[in-house]
Amino acid sequence: MALSFIGGLHIRGRKDARRSEIEKMPSPSVVTIPLSLNSEPAVSVGDAVLRGQLIGFAGGGRSYPTHSSVSGTVTAIKEKTTPNGEAEKYIVIQSDGLDAISPDVQPQTKRISEMTTDEMIDIIFRAGIVGMGGGGYPTAQKVRAALGKATRLIINGIECEPYLTSNHRVMLENSAAIINGTKILMKVLGIRQGEIAIADNKLDAANALERLAAGSELIKIRIFKTKYPQGAERQIINALTGKEIHVDKYPHDAGFVVFNVETCVAVYNAFAHGMPLIERVITVSGDCIKEPKNVMVPIGTSYAALIDFCGGFSKKPKRIICGGPMMGVTQWDLQTSVTKTTTGVLAFSEEMESRYNNPPVCIRCGRCIRVCPMHLMPNYIAMFTVRGDYINADKHGALSCIECGSCAYICPGQVPLVANIRTAKTRILQKRKAGRKSDGMSDGNAVQ
Amino acid sequence: MSQIEKKGEAAPSTLFTVSSSPHIKHEDDTRTIMLDVIIALLPALIYAVYNFGFRVLTLVFLAVGASILFEGAYQMLMKQSVVVSDISAAVTGMLIAFNMPVTAPLWLPVIGAFFAIVIVKQLFGGIGKNFLNPALAARVFMLSWAKEMTTFVEPGIKPSATAISVITSDSVSAATPLATLKIGHIPNLSIKEMLVGDHAGSIGEISALLLALGGCYLLVRKIITWHIPVSYIGTVALLTFVFSKNPLPYDYMSYQILSGGLFLGAIFMATDYSTSPLTGKGKLIFGVGCGLLTVLIRYFGAYNEGVAFSILIMNLLVFYIDKITKPRIFGSSTGIHGSAKRGKTNSPKKV
Repeated sequence: MALSFIGGLHIRGRKDARRSEIEKMPSPSVVTIPLSLNSEPAVSVGDAVLRGQLIGFAGGGRSYPTHSSVSGTVTAIKEKTTPNGEAEKYIVIQSDGLDAISPDVQPQTKRISEMTTDEMIDIIFRAGIVGMGGGGYPTAQKVRAALGKATRLIINGIECEPYLTSNHRVMLENSAAIINGTKILMKVLGIRQGEIAIADNKLDAANALERLAAGSELIKIRIFKTKYPQGAERQIINALTGKEIHVDKYPHDAGFVVFNVETCVAVYNAFAHGMPLIERVITVSGDCIKEPKNVMVPIGTSYAALIDFCGGFSKKPKRIICGGPMMGVTQWDLQTSVTKTTTGVLAFSEEMESRYNNPPVCIRCGRCIRVCPMHLMPNYIAMFTVRGDYINADKHGALSCIECGSCAYICPGQVPLVANIRTAKTRILQKRKAGRKSDGMSDGNAVQ
Repeated sequence: MSQIEKKGEAAPSTLFTVSSSPHIKHEDDTRTIMLDVIIALLPALIYAVYNFGFRVLTLVFLAVGASILFEGAYQMLMKQSVVVSDISAAVTGMLIAFNMPVTAPLWLPVIGAFFAIVIVKQLFGGIGKNFLNPALAARVFMLSWAKEMTTFVEPGIKPSATAISVITSDSVSAATPLATLKIGHIPNLSIKEMLVGDHAGSIGEISALLLALGGCYLLVRKIITWHIPVSYIGTVALLTFVFSKNPLPYDYMSYQILSGGLFLGAIFMATDYSTSPLTGKGKLIFGVGCGLLTVLIRYFGAYNEGVAFSILIMNLLVFYIDKITKPRIFGSSTGIHGSAKRGKTNSPKKV
């Protein structure tokens, strides 16, 4: 029987792009590549750069190096908002269309078996790899944190968000890289067995990987029930072992480390080809996209160019979403560029809006409680938030919310539960930071 | 740093809507849920018309119409947004009519609708906020007109569909099975007649079979869960079997659960969202409580009927039941956030 967890729900997949093979997008004329937080540019305006060349040094904290995804000339270094709305430095490169590869991109000269752990982590770090499932946590740091603590390695190919099919296609078309990437990560972490988690709506991918891993005791394929949000780290671990990881703790505290399948491929590319993370697979879909596709896109490509590559719009879109429909972030224009964590670009028309026009109201149906994968009572947290009672919102576990969107999706009263809980989380954290007494916590600015 | 241009690009011509995730919605909304409840009530309604004639439709029409009218009028008067399109008032109206005998005068459903919608529902904040089931509270209120509410007729007798009142001073109520059961006798009816609803009683309560059919529809459509109907009817069954007033406990139990408003109450009234607990565990406690009170009232109360009172009493406890059945938060040892004892791993499931 397929593995599963308590809570969650089945959402119609609408994975329109599941059968379309990954198409490689030619380099666009201009790429706008974001640098990571705290990084400094490694190039100046007017410099010629090559594909794979370092253009951003890593700073401190959670930053990582950035590389050019095209060859051409740096035309500007500017500040602009990321898909998540934070201001960030971007490097604009005019492509010369040649895609000439930098001489820095060289396969590793040393054999993996001769490398020290530090050397291996350094390769991952220098390739600028981050969690490509959307988390964006630098992989080298994740590996370092998990060293010696994690005893089980899980490669996440669940892809539970509707519409998204990029991981599915990567598993089908690049199975070997995933198996090899898994082996590399096992070696780095000193873990004897890797487990690849796949939902049972992607059994073809599971079979493809199974064939490659056949007979090997090193890699096991684990099949999970198709349910949202099975792809969340804690829900995978829970389904696999029954263990529950508190929201304040990390998977490695319980002996697990989880990587996305595409991160795994990026790790393989870094070791096998010396190629840093400069392109990724993105699902372009939604009811406004003429040809839903899975596209291998150079990082920094604008949504406008990407959507043009997919035949443009079939009708006027109302919302453009970076990521999946459940947890993605809406963008206000098409100038947003593809980052290392962009899993999908979706365009939805007006018709995707709810037809129910009454003001939101909780009718106490209890569906939000049944579907919450963190076993919260979202309706109560939202109610306390609307009242400005963040103390009770906190007591009811607002900070445990993973913002998967299941509650707001299922709510027949159309209550913006996730938006309310986010407000509560922000307020509670602000309050904790300020370390003030528990008065003055209410301000009633919540979304009604 | 000097190379960095400050942001300030020209505003693009077309802007898209920016909204909070999730960006898709399940197709069910309040209206579709209420519509499903109405669909589930239809078999029982059709059977009532077959049994008691078209006066049934007149009463249902008046109760539903008055409920919608009062709701809309109240919301307009209070300058709220008028949300009668969620058709929850129509469900309340239907249940009010289901809870009265076919002989009820035509003004009674209008009074019931006023009490249910204005007093019980809207004055406490409208849908989702009322703490008593509006239709049941109206039923109890309407019992003030004792004769009008308790003059039952035998099935097949079809009172006039349009006469304001069909009760005369010498009208005699047909005995409902519950009256017989109260004194420990088995009614002179077959189990089949009880199941199908071939006996005297309120409009919507007589056919246990068709009500159960509606209940199955609601279960399949996931509008209700099994917890309340099963625990409620189960508790009544268990108690009437163990404490049977008749030497034939199995028969006595069967007639008890098929009589009165138990099926209507357990499937359609006790499961009302606003006035029942939110979690499965809470719903079980609620159902058992309803069952216990129903049997107590049926055995020792002045009325033959126990369902309405017991559900209303349990309605009052919902907030407390919710409080004690809060689910344990994922990864934590209790329902209160942050109380996971850090570092301890004595619980096998908790990290």
